[in-house]
Amino acid sequence: MFSASNYFTFTTRIERHLIATQKVQELYEYIKQFTVVSQQEFQQIAGLLETRSYDKKVTLTRIGEIENYVYIIQKGFVRKFFLKGKNEIITQLAKEKDLVCSSVSFLSQQPSEYNIETLEPCIFYALSFGNLQKIYSMGPNMERLGRLITLDWLLQKEIWEHDRLRQEPRDRFKRFVAENIDTIRRVPQKYLASYLNMKPETFSRYKHLIK
Amino acid sequence: MNDSGLYKLYMDNLYHYFQRFVEMSQDEFDGIAPYFEIRKFEKKVKMVDFGEVDTYFNIIVKGLVRKYLLVKKKEVTIQLSTEGHMIHSEISFNLQIPSDCIIETIEPSIFISISFANIQRIYELYPKTERLGRLIIEEMFIKKDYRDFEQLNKTTRERFLEYIQNHPDMLQRVPQKYLASYLNIKPETFSRLKHLLRPKKINH
Repeated sequence: MFSASNYFTFTTRIERHLIATQKVQELYEYIKQFTVVSQQEFQQIAGLLETRSYDKKVTLTRIGEIENYVYIIQKGFVRKFFLKGKNEIITQLAKEKDLVCSSVSFLSQQPSEYNIETLEPCIFYALSFGNLQKIYSMGPNMERLGRLITLDWLLQKEIWEHDRLRQEPRDRFKRFVAENIDTIRRVPQKYLASYLNMKPETFSRYKHLIK
Repeated sequence: MNDSGLYKLYMDNLYHYFQRFVEMSQDEFDGIAPYFEIRKFEKKVKMVDFGEVDTYFNIIVKGLVRKYLLVKKKEVTIQLSTEGHMIHSEISFNLQIPSDCIIETIEPSIFISISFANIQRIYELYPKTERLGRLIIEEMFIKKDYRDFEQLNKTTRERFLEYIQNHPDMLQRVPQKYLASYLNIKPETFSRLKHLLRPKKINH
């Protein structure tokens, strides 16, 4: 017989199974961009990732703390920022399928210069520093995966920096809007302005460029 | 020292450099050493020009190099590197696409270099080098992030003083306009800030 409590256990079990299946699928898609991994390697990686959910406006990592996790975002929006005096300077806006963490603190295991905060309710696949070392100890193919992902971070940073130096604020704004229409809709304007290194007034002035 | 003596010295340096990141036996190093080459350039030579695909990853043994972007015909210096530093056009080299920046020697320079093709060969033939590569890239990432952070977080005066304190010889070695551009300081401001470096007079 189905009692109410059994019923709920049943649905949450299905939900859990679905989330787990989705995790495996999405993780596989993510890794596939970088290198080929065996079924066994993949299962081990998947087993070391924790699924975690947070409400919006939750601080995951504070300035001065050591970053212990790298997060793959399954759902939600996250910002990374530091404080210049009282001003929050945003250096990353991350959404579904992006990786986010206080990367230098995570890699060096030194105190973070950045805060990491959720902007929306979020679901992550989180990998701890310790578990990452376990993955690396599985052998050169995992080192290869790590090398290619880290290289991807490095190149994205370089491309962002070159664009920042080369483009006029107006062109930077137009390009950002063209490539990130979803972000424009989901993230408060003051955060977008900070991320694009623009005064909020300048950002408002450019807003008519959004179609 | 003759050329083969110098070659051995440079390679010993490279071996020690790698040992900072991973344990590596002399035998293992001897396996990968032949894939590296020594390259020499006169001063003011463009090692990588705008639009060229960068095929070399370089470690500077001797000399001074700058990397810059052209922004409306103005040169914006984004890297200044000396002995022990690595330099390449990251995006062009790794993606094998035309370079958006220019790499040029300021002084006559000597490099230990490895080509893109040879790096891939080493990774295939000596899988243990994957770890070495990963750790070197992590260090590059950390340094780059640190510089971005300094640019955004520090005042002009702080950037100037910290850079000169940490790199005291650069004021002599690098033309002032390149230094000013690298630190994102106007040339006039840069000249003014140089006064901060003079020892203060003591009034009796």
